[in-house]
Amino acid sequence: MIQIQDLSFTYKGEKKPALQEINLSVPEGGFLGIIGPAGAGKTTLARVLTGMIPHHYPGNFYGSARVKGLDTVDTSINDLSRLVGMVFQDVESQIISPMVEDELLYGLENFGVSREEIPARIEEALQSVGISELRERSIASLSGGQRQKVAIASIIALKPRILVLDEPTGELDPRSSRQVFSLLKVLNEEQGITIVLIEQKIMLLCEFTKQLAVLSEGRIVRQGETREVLARAEELQELGVNCPRVTTLSRILSARTGEEQPVCINTEEAEAMIRRLIP
Amino acid sequence: MNNLFQYVPGNSLIHRLNPITKIFLTIIICAAAFITDRLLFLVGLLAVDMLIGIIAGVADRTWNIFRGLLKIAVFLFLLQVLLTRKGTPVFWIITDQGLLTAGKVVLRLVVVCMPLALVLAVTRISDLTNALVQVLHVPYPYAFTLSTAIRFIPQFLEEMAEIMEAQTARGVAFDKAKGLKKLSMMLPLCAPLLISSVRRTDQTAAAAEVRGFHLRTRTSGYKRYPFSYVDLGTVVFCLLLLAGAIVL
Repeated sequence: MIQIQDLSFTYKGEKKPALQEINLSVPEGGFLGIIGPAGAGKTTLARVLTGMIPHHYPGNFYGSARVKGLDTVDTSINDLSRLVGMVFQDVESQIISPMVEDELLYGLENFGVSREEIPARIEEALQSVGISELRERSIASLSGGQRQKVAIASIIALKPRILVLDEPTGELDPRSSRQVFSLLKVLNEEQGITIVLIEQKIMLLCEFTKQLAVLSEGRIVRQGETREVLARAEELQELGVNCPRVTTLSRILSARTGEEQPVCINTEEAEAMIRRLIP
Repeated sequence: MNNLFQYVPGNSLIHRLNPITKIFLTIIICAAAFITDRLLFLVGLLAVDMLIGIIAGVADRTWNIFRGLLKIAVFLFLLQVLLTRKGTPVFWIITDQGLLTAGKVVLRLVVVCMPLALVLAVTRISDLTNALVQVLHVPYPYAFTLSTAIRFIPQFLEEMAEIMEAQTARGVAFDKAKGLKKLSMMLPLCAPLLISSVRRTDQTAAAAEVRGFHLRTRTSGYKRYPFSYVDLGTVVFCLLLLAGAIVL
């Protein structure tokens, strides 16, 4: 679904490349998590996928990025935007309407969704993020978390084949964050939407994503099945990426018991491991 | 100030008017205020302004706008009265002509400013821009600029408050300063505000682009804006008002 080959990108007017020699592939129906320290190029990568780079943000673009077979450089942002939906990191700048309902309407109107279909789509999208009651509210009266949910709903309503989310739970409390992750999982599993999720919440990433890529200083330093990437936790620590406590636990236990323990990615697995070791 | 431009939901006669009719009404009131030369007619127009606010169910807002304008009005009135030399003196250097002109200037200001603020209070910005595009064939990018500008007002104020809070936390005594002093303290903050706004505007443009900004056509809007008998009635009222301003 997504194929990036030898991609390097430098923003116009900058000397240092934001991305260097990126090779990445996400299969259809994949769920990729991207993690990395601030300034690693995560947002730039997301912009490449939506075609904002190089169409909106000019610069030196080397290599190729293909989305569902379409080259993002040759394809217009309009055609790409029918395929790829993106939730921005800065929610404030993503929201363009003063009212919640209008915000959801915007994309639907532009993409020519039929009039009969629009009300159901809006209701469905609002329900899926749990904010049906906010439909008639003005954006200015909402909290940061609620705005974030509106932004997510406005993209989900468009039913993109690929969903790119740039730290969508930044302003959400732990419970709402989990709710968003669960929703993404449902979209991924039931509707087969390919998801690329940039996040700092490693615990949730481990639990929900299928693949994980670690970005550092513009390069992908690790990528693969989530569990595989986590197996080399020491290296991640060195890069400044925190590992979930359960993963650290299995690493410590491996060292103490002298035998390789399986990598745990959630508390249930950790519990099973401890029960096995302490009969 | 923050809620001065915010939409007040409702289902009044004014709310239900076609957005284009509302704009027409605003323009006609402004035009009438400039055409007429009679103090009494201007007072009548002010009454019409107030009536619109009351019918729309936003009497509080109307009163607030009026009060806000009153401060500027008093200043303007004094300036006009003191500077006009024509006419017979009534008291000290104040002349009857001066009083009359000042009254008219001030009334005109209030009458002209009020309808626009009221219309914004009872019309959703999206309805306004969609109607402009659909009915008046205004090119969408212009309409988008208008709606984004209005949408950004509360956001700028929020941001300004945030910057000021940040400065207060670092010891700048914003809370103690008043009037001109406070204004001079706020001026240096314009640079950070401007920078963050420009960055934000660019991102908003990108966000609109990835949601099909360029695909939007005149008929893209979901809602339709037909004209009703109420609209017709309003237009007739507007024309009468205009005729009155010319004849009287």
